[in-house]
Amino acid sequence: MAKLELDETDVKILRMLQQDARIPFTKIAEQCNVSTDTIIRSFGKMKEREVISGTTVLLNLKKMGYEYIASFFVDVNFPHISDGIKFIREIPEILWCVPTIGKHNLFTIAIFKDFSRLSEVRDLIKTHPHVINVSTNIWVGEVLLCPENFELNIKE
Amino acid sequence: MNEVDRAIIENLKRDARTSFREISRKLGVSTDTISNRYRKLRRSGVIQGSTVVINPEKIGYNSIIVLMIDAEPEYSPSILNELIRIVDIIIATKTIGDCDLMAISVVRNYEHIHELMLKVAKIPHVKDVQVSFCLGDMKIRPEYFII
Repeated sequence: MAKLELDETDVKILRMLQQDARIPFTKIAEQCNVSTDTIIRSFGKMKEREVISGTTVLLNLKKMGYEYIASFFVDVNFPHISDGIKFIREIPEILWCVPTIGKHNLFTIAIFKDFSRLSEVRDLIKTHPHVINVSTNIWVGEVLLCPENFELNIKE
Repeated sequence: MNEVDRAIIENLKRDARTSFREISRKLGVSTDTISNRYRKLRRSGVIQGSTVVINPEKIGYNSIIVLMIDAEPEYSPSILNELIRIVDIIIATKTIGDCDLMAISVVRNYEHIHELMLKVAKIPHVKDVQVSFCLGDMKIRPEYFII
C-alpha cells in the first residue's frame, strides 16, 4: 500500500485541522513559523494524495433528531456476501457497511430517529433471503470519538 | 432549524472550509445572515466543531478492526476511559446487546492487532475480547459519531 511520508509541517497542519477545520491557513502558518504559501502547498499535496479525504463539521446527532446509533453483526450465506452488502447499503440509515473476517461476516453501523425504526431496519436486514442471523448492539451513552488517535508518522 | 441552517450544515458537511461568502452566494442571502446562523448553530451545539478526515490507508494503516468486549458492567465507564486513551482506537462505546463495550481501531499489521488486544485485555475488569476484521472501505465517517 502506498504510504505517504509526512513531514513535520504536514503533521502540524493535520493536528490543527483535527481540532478546527475552519482555522485560517494564515494562522496555521504563524504557528508553524512558515509562509502561508507553504501551508497551502502542503494542504493541497495531502488532498491530492488523498491523505486528507476532506474536512467536515461534527454534528450533534441528538439535536439533528437521531436518537439511536446501533451496529449489527450479520451472518450472510457466504457466497452471497456482496448481495447482502448491496442490500444493506441501500437502507438510508446505514452509515457504514463492510465485510468482516471473524465470528460474523458483515458489520454495519446505522443511526435512527426512533426505536421502532431501529427495530424495523433490523427486521428488514433479516428478511434478505441470504441473511442467516443479525446480532444487534445499541450504542448507549456518550460515544467517545478520538480521530486524533491516528498515529502520524513523521519522516526521519 | 430553518432552511438556511440546513443548507449551511449540508455545505459544511461536505467541506468544512467553505467560506460563508460562497454559501451566501449559493443561497442568495447575505454573508451576515450565514455567519449569524452559523454562530447560532455553534452556540446551540448542533454543530460541535469541525475536523479533517484523514484516510488511514495513506498513513500506514492497513485495516480496521472491531473489538467486542465483555466486562463487569459497573466498570464500563472506567474501561471506556482507558480504551480511548489507547492510540489507534478511534471509536469506543458502551453497548446493549451481544457485548458490553465496543471499540473500533485502525491497525497496521497482525503484530499490532495482537498488541492492541493485549492492551485491552489488561484493562482491569475486562473479561473477554473478541475481534472482527473489516475489509474494504476504510472511509469510516467519523463525523457522525459524536452524540
